[in-house]
Amino acid sequence: MRKIVRVDMSDLSVRTEPLPEKWARYGGRALTDAIVFSEVPPAADPLGPENKLVFAPGILGGTTAPNGGRISAGAKSPLTGGIKESNAGGQAAHALAKLGIAALVIEGAPADKDARYLVKIAQDGSVELKRVDEWAGAGNYAVADGIKQMMGDTKRYATITIGPAGEMGMKMAGIAVSDPDGYPNRFCGRGGLGAVMGSKGVKAIVLVDEGLPTVEHADRDAFNAAVKKFAAALREHAVTGQGLPTYGTNILANIINEAGGYPTRNFSSGRFELVEQISGERQREVTLERGGNVKHGCHTGCVIQCSRYWVDADGRYLTKGPEYESVWSLGADCGIGDLDDVAALDRACGDIGIDTIETGVMLGVYMESGRLAFGDGKGALRLLEEEVRKGTDLGRILGDGAEATGVAFGVKRIPVVKHQGLPAYDPRPIQGIGVTYATSPMGADHTAGYSITANVLNVGGSVDPLKPDGQAELSKGLQIATGMLDSMGFCIFVAFAVLDIPEAFDAISEMAAAHTGQPWDADALMELGKETLAMERLYNEAIGFGPEHDRLPRFFYEEKLPPHEAVFTVPEADLDSVFDFVPETAAKMGISKPGA
Amino acid sequence: MRVELALFASLRRYLPEGAHGHERTIDLPDGTTVGQVIALLHLPDEPRVVFVNGRHAPDDQRLHDGDRLAVFPPVAGG
Repeated sequence: MRKIVRVDMSDLSVRTEPLPEKWARYGGRALTDAIVFSEVPPAADPLGPENKLVFAPGILGGTTAPNGGRISAGAKSPLTGGIKESNAGGQAAHALAKLGIAALVIEGAPADKDARYLVKIAQDGSVELKRVDEWAGAGNYAVADGIKQMMGDTKRYATITIGPAGEMGMKMAGIAVSDPDGYPNRFCGRGGLGAVMGSKGVKAIVLVDEGLPTVEHADRDAFNAAVKKFAAALREHAVTGQGLPTYGTNILANIINEAGGYPTRNFSSGRFELVEQISGERQREVTLERGGNVKHGCHTGCVIQCSRYWVDADGRYLTKGPEYESVWSLGADCGIGDLDDVAALDRACGDIGIDTIETGVMLGVYMESGRLAFGDGKGALRLLEEEVRKGTDLGRILGDGAEATGVAFGVKRIPVVKHQGLPAYDPRPIQGIGVTYATSPMGADHTAGYSITANVLNVGGSVDPLKPDGQAELSKGLQIATGMLDSMGFCIFVAFAVLDIPEAFDAISEMAAAHTGQPWDADALMELGKETLAMERLYNEAIGFGPEHDRLPRFFYEEKLPPHEAVFTVPEADLDSVFDFVPETAAKMGISKPGA
Repeated sequence: MRVELALFASLRRYLPEGAHGHERTIDLPDGTTVGQVIALLHLPDEPRVVFVNGRHAPDDQRLHDGDRLAVFPPVAGG
């Protein structure tokens, strides 16, 4: 029986309860959404005691389902003001699932604002709260080292930690999750969830899964057969079987640049003249020259293996990847064309505990204000280390992200939707992703409906990226599918194979059915995606989000982006059609507004 | 006519000699199509993504002087 573990930071009590029957088919994003939807009042202060921070492995967490080890973190977001789910790889999802935990809920807030706690869940499920006040202000890497010393001979555990940004309540603070080598380098980065964790006084969570077996299945043979089928599809597809493992996610830099959609210098151009120097191909060459690792999984059970470690000139580990989004945000969007500068910024983000996307977009906006030159990587690093990490007056503004920074310094071009910075694809020449940015309940989020597939990569069909036709339909289908994948606990990169290989899609419902013993089929999978989105939309509606919030900033409609001289042209009626299924889905679920 | 050719990732090794990075300028007879260039380069018969001047292009598209032709193997990320 899966259970919910609740840690109340107001009185330091712990409660364990069985997962309610109504949520028996939920995991990951669907479950964090359901708990936030039911239990966090829409008017709650995101950094107050009424908010809850929920961690949930996917439905297939703790199993051998390939790439099924993503962890979802959910809460009301201090950045967007709406419901938030942000997911990461790393080892925490498998550890939680092996401990029998469907959701770990951090509630309340401690009276003593200077207290720092470590929440440790041992193999037997016992929960211990330990004061770690001496870790106040420490970076994620120092905390990881502290935990390692504390754990002594226990080697198998996962960590969930925050850096100083989370403690200070900064709106771009993320949550770090440890990878298979124990590095705190996988991130629930978006939406300021690190600040929510900080507001609870929780500096670190340690999940001990040493000696615990994988989770049992209702039908083991059927499960293993479906796993085999799924893994074969991931290995067969050119993207998941060859491109991603060889070059990593940053293989995208050249192709997005070629398509004219690589946002450069705060979204003022779609091409970056120095892209070659920060491309995935170059990154691979340098990493190999320096003896870095160029192929590993970010969590146990990953078949794709797109992760890698960046090492400095002396061959010492500095950070993971850096990933495509981070190389773009900290590179091209800031006019920085040096991979060592980008990696140093990525490491700083990881240690301070801030979202690399929001940080890069913030820096691009700050540079546009004229206070720092585009291309000044050392100056950008100084801002992160001396201002953001230390929480100076300037650092507090920058730490609240791109919009806060743009408003404070009078910048007109602020690329955000629902207060969250846009990721690495300009929505003018790639209009499908613009629909996702505009309409996702998450705010501007590429993963929520990754239309780059059909718009640029010719995966899962082809939709002309420069025209408005078909973009809303494309984004809608992908947002529903992503809601499902995020609830199963899958890495969304499986979608590249799933979109092109029918057997891979079949294997998902077969794995879910064989694992849970519940009936799962293609329709049920899509229904899960719709239910997830319905809860998110209704929650945001109760807060006051309406169609007017499902829009891009005006400059995307008015300023032509070179080289295609493109503007965003998807009609408002199309944007408003993306969530037309919500009333019907909500009626079927028997929900209309947040609450129990 | 002169066309700027760019080949990326695993296709880079098919660039003619004298390439700079991912790119090389090549001389072609007027009216050469995308497909003819791909055949000329002996690119593997596998899925690919082709752009002419930053827009997707089919194999039968004719090239013009000054065009940029870029070819990628299947890639993705994010």
